[in-house]
Amino acid sequence: MEYRAYTGMNGLGNSKLVTDLQCLKEFTELSVNSKKAAVQRNQETSRKESEDESRLPVLEAAYATILRGIGEDTDRQGLLRTPARAAKAMQFLTKGYHESVYDILNDAIFDEDHDEMVIVKDIDMFSLCEHHLVPFFGKVHIGYLPNKKVVGLSKLLHDWLDMCPTVQERLTKQIATAISEALQPTGVVVIIEAVHMCMIMRGVQKINSQTVTSTMLGIFREDHKTREEFLALVKSK
Amino acid sequence: MERSNQNEKLATNTQNNSVNGHFESVKKVRSRTSGTPGETVSRASPLMESWKEERTRSVEDNETSLPSIAAAYSTILSGLGEDPLRQGLLKTPWRAATAMQYFTKGYQEKIIDILNDAIFDEDHDEMVIVKDIDMFSMCEHHLVPIFGRVHIGYLPNKRVLGLSKLARIVEIYSRRLQVQERLTKQIAVAITEALQPAGVGVVIEATHMCMVMRGVQKMNSKTVTSTMLGVFREDPKTRDEFLTLIRS
Repeated sequence: MEYRAYTGMNGLGNSKLVTDLQCLKEFTELSVNSKKAAVQRNQETSRKESEDESRLPVLEAAYATILRGIGEDTDRQGLLRTPARAAKAMQFLTKGYHESVYDILNDAIFDEDHDEMVIVKDIDMFSLCEHHLVPFFGKVHIGYLPNKKVVGLSKLLHDWLDMCPTVQERLTKQIATAISEALQPTGVVVIIEAVHMCMIMRGVQKINSQTVTSTMLGIFREDHKTREEFLALVKSK
Repeated sequence: MERSNQNEKLATNTQNNSVNGHFESVKKVRSRTSGTPGETVSRASPLMESWKEERTRSVEDNETSLPSIAAAYSTILSGLGEDPLRQGLLKTPWRAATAMQYFTKGYQEKIIDILNDAIFDEDHDEMVIVKDIDMFSMCEHHLVPIFGRVHIGYLPNKRVLGLSKLARIVEIYSRRLQVQERLTKQIAVAITEALQPAGVGVVIEATHMCMVMRGVQKMNSKTVTSTMLGVFREDPKTRDEFLTLIRS
């Protein structure tokens, strides 16, 4: 019943979606909490492009304050337009707010009678650490076992969720949940290996450290052979 | 007081060095700061002036300005459409402000303070190279990180510098809002002023997040800048030796 409520809330009045979800009950139980969070997040944090323009002056003033606060001379040639550039850059780096997952994925879902693993690996990812507002970047590896539905591959490469201040664990889970909601596959796995500038440029300053997080849903969680096959394929050159 | 002593010492030494365009302008800047009327000064380039300005941000300044920087970050978060009260973002303005002050801590430090003790007289006149010095800076145009490696080589002229001081010079100049070309030149000029070597070469290879994460979004691009002074500029064989050794 709660699934119907969700589809009503976000406008996906798609009864096929509801039926499919109910068929994969065990799978969806695993992801229901993260699904709830993802739906709420998509609704609460949508930001229209037109609002960006109107907010620029406020962001510019804030950046000018920061420049003065660190002791710089805001009138020198190199810094004259920096508040404007930095404000636009920050809006670009947080544009994940603009786009809802459903808009992007829904157009490119196809029915295919394919039930072998599909892997897209070494997807470059850039995001902002929500604790220090400093970039972290790395590679994302996505694998899924389709259940009669496949998604256009470039949609997996689209940086729809990357660009928000976030935490790597949450980002991994959001990507996995988004794919599982849209496709209802037999299983999804997402691995992110990233380098955090907040650890490299400040704080502990460990230059070669990498953070690896993963989310396994469905058959990838239950069956270790499937998981091993994915990991072997991701590691191979 | 120590400044005027330094002035005298350097004025004497620069007169002894072979003059290339660069050393001349060094001498001119020094004469300006010791108070002589400035008829020789008008040719000092803007670059030299900005090197000469000693930024004087102190630790107390940091504490005083932290609240206003944190407030600015809070404004930025709400301006981006985020909810600054959600758990993950509650203390982010303070953390981001402290992080930004750390990334610009070069403004608090002076070259003179770190170099004075570590210049030694050595009868060594072969090339000294310190390579693969990790460097982290901030792009002054977009306030986004730049990171890469610095390779420094110099031909001593009876005076050598403590090796870690080369890395400290890199730190002071890179922990600022920078342009890579200026950073390269500032490092070379600082070593020249301190040691008066026969030549200095500095090469920086860096990745600019402003190009990788936004704009043209070229993932694998690197920017390489170099400054060659003295014999590194005049003698191609010396330059080749330096470049070969940093590649190996």
